[in-house]
Amino acid sequence: MKRLAIVLATALVAAPAAAQESGSGDGPSFSPVTWERLLNAADEPENWLMYSATLDAQRYSRLDQIHNRNVGELELKWAYQIPQLDRAETVPLVVDGVMFITEAPSNVVAVDAATGRQYWRYDHPLPDDLRICCGRNNRGVAILGETLFMSTLDAHLVAIDARTGNLVWDRETADHQAGYSKTAAPLVVKDQVVTGIAGGEYGIRGFIDSYDAASGEQVWRAWTIPGPDHPDNQTWAGDSWRTGGSASWITGAYDPDLDIVYWGTGNPGPDWNGDVRLGDNLYSDSAMALNGTTGQLEWYFQFTPHDVHDWDAIQVPILADLTMDGEERKVMMWANRNAFFYTIDRETGEFLLGKPYAKQTWAVGLDSNGRPIRVPNTAPTPEGTLVSPPVGGGTNWFSPAFSPRTELFYVQAYDGEDIFYKRDEEYVEGDQFTGGGAQRPLPADNYYSAIRAIDPRTGDVRWEYPIQPRSTAGVTATAGDLVFSGSVDGYFYALDAVSGEELWHMNVGRRVHSAAITYAVDGQQYVTIAAGNVVFTFGLRD
Amino acid sequence: MRMRSLWAIPAAAVLAATVLVTAPAAPRAQETTENPFTTTLDIRMGQRLYQQQCTRCHGQTGDGGELGPALTNGFTSASTDAGLFRIVREGIPNTQMIGISRNATDQSVWMVVSYLNSLNSTPAVDLPGDVAAGRMVFEGKGNCSSCHMVGGEGGRRGPDLTRVGDRRDPDELVSDLRTPDEDLAPRWWTLRVTREDGSVVEGLRMSEDTFTMRIMDENEDLWSFSKSGVRSYERVTSSIMPSVNALLTEDEVEDLVAYLYSLRREET
Repeated sequence: MKRLAIVLATALVAAPAAAQESGSGDGPSFSPVTWERLLNAADEPENWLMYSATLDAQRYSRLDQIHNRNVGELELKWAYQIPQLDRAETVPLVVDGVMFITEAPSNVVAVDAATGRQYWRYDHPLPDDLRICCGRNNRGVAILGETLFMSTLDAHLVAIDARTGNLVWDRETADHQAGYSKTAAPLVVKDQVVTGIAGGEYGIRGFIDSYDAASGEQVWRAWTIPGPDHPDNQTWAGDSWRTGGSASWITGAYDPDLDIVYWGTGNPGPDWNGDVRLGDNLYSDSAMALNGTTGQLEWYFQFTPHDVHDWDAIQVPILADLTMDGEERKVMMWANRNAFFYTIDRETGEFLLGKPYAKQTWAVGLDSNGRPIRVPNTAPTPEGTLVSPPVGGGTNWFSPAFSPRTELFYVQAYDGEDIFYKRDEEYVEGDQFTGGGAQRPLPADNYYSAIRAIDPRTGDVRWEYPIQPRSTAGVTATAGDLVFSGSVDGYFYALDAVSGEELWHMNVGRRVHSAAITYAVDGQQYVTIAAGNVVFTFGLRD
Repeated sequence: MRMRSLWAIPAAAVLAATVLVTAPAAPRAQETTENPFTTTLDIRMGQRLYQQQCTRCHGQTGDGGELGPALTNGFTSASTDAGLFRIVREGIPNTQMIGISRNATDQSVWMVVSYLNSLNSTPAVDLPGDVAAGRMVFEGKGNCSSCHMVGGEGGRRGPDLTRVGDRRDPDELVSDLRTPDEDLAPRWWTLRVTREDGSVVEGLRMSEDTFTMRIMDENEDLWSFSKSGVRSYERVTSSIMPSVNALLTEDEVEDLVAYLYSLRREET
């Protein structure tokens, strides 16, 4: 393990009180994060080494010091105020006592994970002509070795020295003036950095990229809309593929045994007027399985062919091995924005089961291949068409979780509706290209939100915990049989992972748009959540 | 589809309206600039650009969405057309509100401003009722002022109506008076709380969240409850306001509508 002298020196000269406060006086923080460490991230639960905790994206921690019998003793340990008013969607990483927090618009700060006090910060310079549909968001960094990787709103991927915050390299991945931007945490796969793109409301052509972690050179690009040399291009009428969206604005998962990267894709564009892009619009609203070395498409599964409701398949895929009907299956679990939950064979892409987990009125059901059987007359019209789920979906980008202890899949679900409108629209590069809109007909309080625990073998909802509509917080599960999440009304809370019973809650003052992480420093487990623009860290009473 | 109710105007909206009339006495030079594009056609053109650029956050009809506030209850960050222009053009620094497309001309931005204004104004029309008589009904037979404030005077168990004429047209006012249960905003629902000892406390739902709730009872007392600390609670989604149908004559309703519609910014 490499120890940088400057860090060691700092630790040595630290006053006893300070050392005691940080709890790390016995030695320096932070050692390089090798690929082997990332492969085995579950084995070092004291750290949170990637966006979804582990490569299988289960968002599950083996830490159990905080459990379902003592979680009521949680108290605030520290708070870090982000100096921007934008909502924080950050999921921090923790490496050997150092926490890396991303901030709006495209900044990152490193703090002591035990105290929240700052080591360094990196402020990414941005142009003033950004094209972003939905706020100045950043959801987190990835790490390999001693380098952090961050997406930026001007569609760059930057590499930052994890010990100093110095810029290592800066790569433009697409032209921000044409509507491209980047908000999601990248995913490190071996010596590469895999990263998606945003801009589905601007008529972009989506892709998933991989860059060499050391040099920043592009290794491969997988288009999420195939070009005219590929037969699937025929699923787009005329030239509509050129402006078909299909962005990739969330973080995927990786199976090292199969060497497959799993990544979701967003809505076809224009969002609500499908007349100009007749066909299934592959590979929009799909799970794409890409070879982890070459980026070659191994298989795809399209959840919503020819989507006209903006139901992106921008969810984090969760991988697990389950016994189904007596057979060991390598599966991928997916609660989709279209209100259906899916269990899919991740080796082949075979549809195993699918069932609604939230209110939906657009499909009679799924056929034997998982393709939806649509209810007639549910497409947007100029006068408006009432459909469930709403544009925000039964769920959306916020992370679900899976506990291997309970073998339940936990998701933030919403039973809502919207009136969907369609209109004609010309594509203008750099302008929004949506072809319609949506409006909730009644105040949100008329609808229903819940954390739902789904059995991935059947798609059945085992339990639900009702919360105020509509939450946009992710879910995190732990070996303490806890499920942590947040709410629209500014609560951070813990549920019993087995029963769904509420065990603890704390008023954190503003809406939670993030997902919790948990980690440990010097033997003490902490839980961290961003709410509003503040990062809160809780631990058991000393 | 607009579904707002007279009884649904939140306090924040009233505050916003207050901001509109209490703008700084010495606005910046730009704020004195008048909007040159205010015709009906300009408004329609502005609506078109609004729908292309703004609905993602503010909703198809400006009633708000998950990412942005409603634009139909006044504006909290601008007090003049020029101020609105600047926000539409440049956004609000340090927030999620970004400016409109760089490709949009100044003329287009002014049209958006006109459209936004159209969402916050009602036409000045002559009504058959008598304003003075309507005020007497409001304060007398109708007993409206026991629950509604106008100009800081009146009850607290209904929305402040000081500028209700700015945001409700006469037809909507008639509907509000005759069918108050229709489209009742959640703020004016009733929560009926049964405490552990079996006693019941009931009041207007001032706010409710996942774990707690706060109400105002009929004595205008404020209560706060933890949901886990009570035996049960129940939402009543009908209005505590009775319909005027059995209470007032046709002429009295006309007068009352004329009075309410006169409660507008320029006449206050």
